[in-house]
Amino acid sequence: MSVLSNVARWFADPAHWSGPDGIPQRLVEHVQISAESVAIGAVIALPIGIALGHYGRFGNLAINISNVGRALPSFGILVIAFQVFGLGSLPVLVALVALAIPPMITNSYVGLREVDPDVKEAARGMGYRELTQLVRVELPLAVPLVMAGIRTSAVQVVATATLAALIAGGGFGRYVVDGFAQQDYTKLFAGAVLVAALAMATELSLSAVERLLVPPGIQLQRTATAQRATTFKTA
Amino acid sequence: MNFRLGSVRSLAAIAAIVFAVTACGSTGGGGTASPGKGTLTVAGFNFPESSILAEIYGKSLEHDGYTINYKLLLGTREVVAPALESGQIDLYPGYAATDLEFYNKGAGEASGDVTATTAKRNSRLSALGLVALTPSAAVDQNAFAVTKATQTKFNLTKLSDLAPIGSQLTLGAGPECPTRPYCQPGLQKTYGITFKAFKPLDTDGPLTRAAFKNGTIDVGLVFSSDGDLNSLGLVVLQDDKHLENADNVVPIIRQAAASDEVKRVLNAIDAKLTTADLVTMNSQVSIQHQDADAVAMAWLQQHNYYS
Repeated sequence: MSVLSNVARWFADPAHWSGPDGIPQRLVEHVQISAESVAIGAVIALPIGIALGHYGRFGNLAINISNVGRALPSFGILVIAFQVFGLGSLPVLVALVALAIPPMITNSYVGLREVDPDVKEAARGMGYRELTQLVRVELPLAVPLVMAGIRTSAVQVVATATLAALIAGGGFGRYVVDGFAQQDYTKLFAGAVLVAALAMATELSLSAVERLLVPPGIQLQRTATAQRATTFKTA
Repeated sequence: MNFRLGSVRSLAAIAAIVFAVTACGSTGGGGTASPGKGTLTVAGFNFPESSILAEIYGKSLEHDGYTINYKLLLGTREVVAPALESGQIDLYPGYAATDLEFYNKGAGEASGDVTATTAKRNSRLSALGLVALTPSAAVDQNAFAVTKATQTKFNLTKLSDLAPIGSQLTLGAGPECPTRPYCQPGLQKTYGITFKAFKPLDTDGPLTRAAFKNGTIDVGLVFSSDGDLNSLGLVVLQDDKHLENADNVVPIIRQAAASDEVKRVLNAIDAKLTTADLVTMNSQVSIQHQDADAVAMAWLQQHNYYS
């Protein structure tokens, strides 16, 4: 209980809400490095995953490569990147982009693969050219899975951006690393709470974005399916 | 080049910090020193000199017939000291004043007098079932360094020279610096230096060096026995108001493990160890890239162990 009340007092202290080590500044740092990493990761991963899923080729290769990517420890990449690039945000960016890529490749590949072949055939039958078919038929149908990949990446990146503090970076990890070094466990705990809260906020806000992006047609269809299933069961 | 390999080692130390809690949980108790020759666990802090000293202590005990487990690069004192108190390790190479101020939670009892410092520390340690042996003449104390360029620009030789210009300078040190009496608060209190900003890095490690290199910091915390300050173009500022207490090397050991024989072996080592030895051995590790255990072994052989 005393830990929780100490943490509550820490959050209530106005000194922790301003200045270069204040929560707003650390939040900006944390969100900035995370957003940059996910954005760069998406620019790299989504075209690869979408192309492979669309053409239905090299799927095993893509998934295996991204599985190897998942096995690489972010901390290891961070340490190696620090050797190469020195102090600054670049090593953190490298480690986080590497973390962000695999879920986005896998999910966008699977999302595109799972588009019903009949739908693709119908699109072709209607005279859609390949690019139009991809953009207007396949991608909208794949949105839920593609977005799930982005969401997974983003949550992992937000949680892992904490490591930046180990190489003198900013973000909420600063509280965890400094709290540990200073034996200030209240600060450490507060930092952990902030990271967890930000990760959850990321998950929730990206879920909201996902709901906005999913075409109404698919949402309707899903609802209809669900209702049918219910009717069947009760009947 | 020096920087690269040294960095790999020191970054292993960062890894040690991260995994230290798990490591502590999983390592079994080091042995209790039975009257016969038993097993002892020797730990070291997360910097190379501590590994060298831990290896020297460990190997001298091995030479005497003990079986030694090493927990090198275990972490900072915040990790190592609780491990010693709980018996997960048996001894570590400590530093007289810093250890006193750690165990008395910064009560300011340490002084330049090593004997008085040791006596005060042992009264703190005995309550925890720990004891510090006879301090060595070898000293490694915290020091503050600037680059040669900064030194020339502001004409600096001693720490008190920083007082009028502190507001233009950024201090870099381990994240614990703002709460340690021998770091930022001490510089403020003893010298009246208020820095423009503080950058949490590490203590004389790769982060501090990189920060000196790209100009992120102007003043950095280093160790006086650091073997490669010269090659890095860093100059240590003289501690003219004696903020830093003489930090003599001294083994801190569990009373249960401190048999007369163990004490005799370790005191014999400390009687031979000098600050010059530390500087030489540190440069062998950080500049010539030798392994800490090889450097420790070479030192022991020079002093007629394993010969």
